[in-house]
Amino acid sequence: MQLPTASTNASEQEFVELRLAQVPLRQTVELVRIDLPPEQAEPLLERGVLPGCRICPVRSSPSGDPIISIDGSLLAFRKETAACLCVRLITQFRDAG
Amino acid sequence: MAEQRAVLVGARVASGAALQEAPSPLVALIGPPNSGKTTLFNQLTGLRQKVANYPGVTVEKKVGTVALPDGGELDLVDLPGVHGFSARTLDERVTRDVLEGRVEGIRAPDALVLIVDSTRLESQLMLVEPVLELDLPTLLVLNMCDELEQRGGRVDDSHLAERLGVKVARTSARSGAGVDLVREFLATEVAVAEPPGPVQPRTLSNIPRGVALPMVDAFKQRRARVSEVVAGAGFRSPDPSGFSERLDHVFLHRIWGPLVFLAVVVLVFESIFTWAVPIMDGVELVVGASGNWLTATLPDTWFRSLLVDGVWAGVGSVVIFLPQILVLFLFLGVLEDSGYMARAAVIADRMMYRVGLQGRAFLPLLSGYACAVPAILAARTVEDERDRLATIFVTPFMTCSARLPVYALLIAAFIPDEPLLGPILGKRAAMLLGLYGLGIVAAIGTAFLLKRTLLKAEPTAFLMELPPYRVPTLRSLGLRLVDRSGVFLKRVGKVIFTVSIVLWTLTQFPRTELGPPPIDDSALASIGHLIEPVIAPLGFDWKIGVGLVTSLAAREVIVGTLGTIYGVEAAGDESFELQDALTDALTPASAIGLLIFFAFALQCMSTVAVMRRETAGWKWPALQFMYMLLLAYAGAFIAVRVF
Ligand SMILES: Nc1nc2c(ncn2[C@@H]2O[C@H](COP(=O)(O)OP(=O)(O)O)[C@@H](O)[C@H]2O)c(=O)[nH]1
Repeated sequence: MQLPTASTNASEQEFVELRLAQVPLRQTVELVRIDLPPEQAEPLLERGVLPGCRICPVRSSPSGDPIISIDGSLLAFRKETAACLCVRLITQFRDAG
Repeated sequence: MAEQRAVLVGARVASGAALQEAPSPLVALIGPPNSGKTTLFNQLTGLRQKVANYPGVTVEKKVGTVALPDGGELDLVDLPGVHGFSARTLDERVTRDVLEGRVEGIRAPDALVLIVDSTRLESQLMLVEPVLELDLPTLLVLNMCDELEQRGGRVDDSHLAERLGVKVARTSARSGAGVDLVREFLATEVAVAEPPGPVQPRTLSNIPRGVALPMVDAFKQRRARVSEVVAGAGFRSPDPSGFSERLDHVFLHRIWGPLVFLAVVVLVFESIFTWAVPIMDGVELVVGASGNWLTATLPDTWFRSLLVDGVWAGVGSVVIFLPQILVLFLFLGVLEDSGYMARAAVIADRMMYRVGLQGRAFLPLLSGYACAVPAILAARTVEDERDRLATIFVTPFMTCSARLPVYALLIAAFIPDEPLLGPILGKRAAMLLGLYGLGIVAAIGTAFLLKRTLLKAEPTAFLMELPPYRVPTLRSLGLRLVDRSGVFLKRVGKVIFTVSIVLWTLTQFPRTELGPPPIDDSALASIGHLIEPVIAPLGFDWKIGVGLVTSLAAREVIVGTLGTIYGVEAAGDESFELQDALTDALTPASAIGLLIFFAFALQCMSTVAVMRRETAGWKWPALQFMYMLLLAYAGAFIAVRVF
C-alpha cells in the first residue's frame, strides 16, 4: 500500500525523498510515506509514526538497526522497516507550506 | 461530549431501581504500556488485588478494590496496556472486549480511568478520542508529572479538561502525588452514580465511528485534532533525559551493549543457581524438620502416613522451589522496571529473528527458565500473532525450574563427581549444562521448523519502545513477588496436593491382613504394569513409569512419586536414600535416557492449560504435547542405545 501525503503542493515536490535507512544520525526528517501493508503500518501509526511527523534517528543498535526519537519517545525497529519509511529533509522553507 | 454525558447520567437515574443489591461500581484502568498504569493500580488498591481468569477466554484479569475517602469501595480492573484498538494483538483484543462489555464473567465497566505519560503527551493522547466515544464517565490521568516538570516541560491541565470535556488529574504515581485526585474522582463521579441501566452497545476501534476513511488519513486527522488541543494547553515537551542517553550510550553500544547483555543473562542464571540455593536449603530444612516433627507428634495411624508420606513429601518437594522462582522474578522485575528489558529485547532481536522469533520473545523465553506458565502469559507482548504462537510453542523447551529437581536427583545418582575440564568444569556440571543446551537447541530447531511450515509468514515488523531508565521501586517489586508466589503456591496447592493423596491411596490398596500391601502388589503397581511395555525399550520399569505418569501433572512430581514408591517399599529402613534405590533400578544409559526424556517432554498440566487458554483451543497444546512426547521418546530411545 502506498500512503500518499495529504499535500501535493508543487513547491514541496522539489524535496528529495530519502529512505529513513539512509538518513544520518541526529538529522531530523519528516515522514512522507509508509511503504508497508496496512497491518504492518498500523502499529507504527498508533505510536505516532504518521506521515507529516518529525523523526530523528538518534542511535543505532549493536546490530545496526535504527532507534528513532519521536514525540519524546524512543522507538526501535529493524532496518528492513526503516527501508520502507520514505522521508524528506526538513528545511526552513518547510513551515511556509 | 460533556452534554451527552449529562444526558446519559440522567437516563441512569431514571432506570436505577434496585439500588440496594447493586454491586459496587466497576472502573476500568486503561492506558498505553509504560504509562505507569500498574503503578497507579497498585497505589489505588494496595494488596487488595487478585489475579484471576475469565472463564473460558484467554484473559488474565487483575481486579482490585479501591477504598474511597468517604468509606465506600469500588472495583478497579487493570486492562492490558495498549497503543490503540485495532485488535491486532491479544492485549488489544482483551482491552477492547472488556471495554465493550463482551467478556463473560465481567460486567461492562461503569467508568474509565485513562492514564497517559505526560512527558509524551501528544502521541499518548491519540487514545483519548476512541475512549471518549464510549460515553462513560472518564478521568484522564496525566502521569509522570514529576518527570515532566523536572525536565522542563509543562501542560495546562484545566485547559485540557475543558477542551476534551473530561476531568483531568495530574499525578506522579510512583511517589503517590495526585493519587488522591483519582480517588476523589471515583468517589464523587462514579460511586454516587446510579447503577447503569441496560448496557448500550459499545464499539471501539481506531477508525472513528461512521467514518469511511483510509486508515492513515483517519490517524492523521485525529492527530491534527490532538495536536491542536495539546498546543492549546500550552504543552511543552520535556528535554530529553540526559541520564538515559548516557546509559544507552553504554547499553546499546556496538561492543559494550552485547557484553552487558551477556553479563545480565549470566547474572540471572547465577542468581537462580547460586544465590537462591542457600534459601532453598533453608526451606528444605524447615520442610524436613516439620515432617519429622509431625511423625513424632502424631499417633501412628493411616492419617499420619497420608499426611507425612503423601502430602508432606509431595508438597514439600515442590515448595522448596519457591525461593528460586522468587529470585528469578525479582531479577526480571528489576530488569523490566528499570527499562533495561526493552534494550535487551532490541539487542536480542537480530539473533532471534534469524531463528524465526523476534526480540519481544526474549522476556518470555528468559522467564521460561523459571516456569513456562508466566512465560507463556508474557508472550502476549509479542505483537505478531504467528510470532506469539511460535514463542509459546518453544517456551516449554526452556529448562524450567521444575526440571531441576529431576536433573539434580538423577545426576547425583548416576554421574560421578569428577572433574572434566580440570577444576573449572566437573562432569556433573557439564551434564547439567548439556541438558540446558539441549533445550536451547531443540527450541531453535523447533522455531526454525515452525516458521517454515505451520507459521510461515512474511517477516513481520519489530517495534519496541525504549522507556527512560528508572530506579525500580521496592513497592512494585514486592507486589510482583507477592503476586507470583500466590500463583505458584496455588498451583502447588491444587495439583501436587491432589496427586500426592491419590498416589498414597493407591499404594495402600488392596489391603492385606498386615495392612498396606507390599508395593509390588499394590493398585499402583497394577497401573504401572499397564504402561510398562511402552517404556521397556527405554529401560524403565513400572516404578519409573508411574513417575512418568504422575509427572504429567508437573515434572517435579516424579521426585515425590519415586520418593513415595521406594519409600513405602523400604518402609522401616532408616538409611533409605532415594539415590541408592535409583542406582539399583536404572542402568546409567537409561538414566541418561530419562534425563533426555525430561528435557523434551511436555509434562506439565499447567502449561497445557495455559496454552489452551492463550491459543483459544486444543489444537496447539495437543500438537505440542505430541511433538514434545515424540522428541522425548526418540531422544531417550537413542540415548539408551548410544551410551
Ligand atoms: N518518575 C516517575 N516514574 C513513574 C511514575 N509512574 C510510574 N513510574 C515508573 O515507570 C515505570 C513503568 O511503570 P508501570 O506502572 O510498570 O507502567 P505500565 O507498563 O503502564 O504498567 C516503572 O519503573 C515505574 O516506577 C511517575 O509518576 N513518575
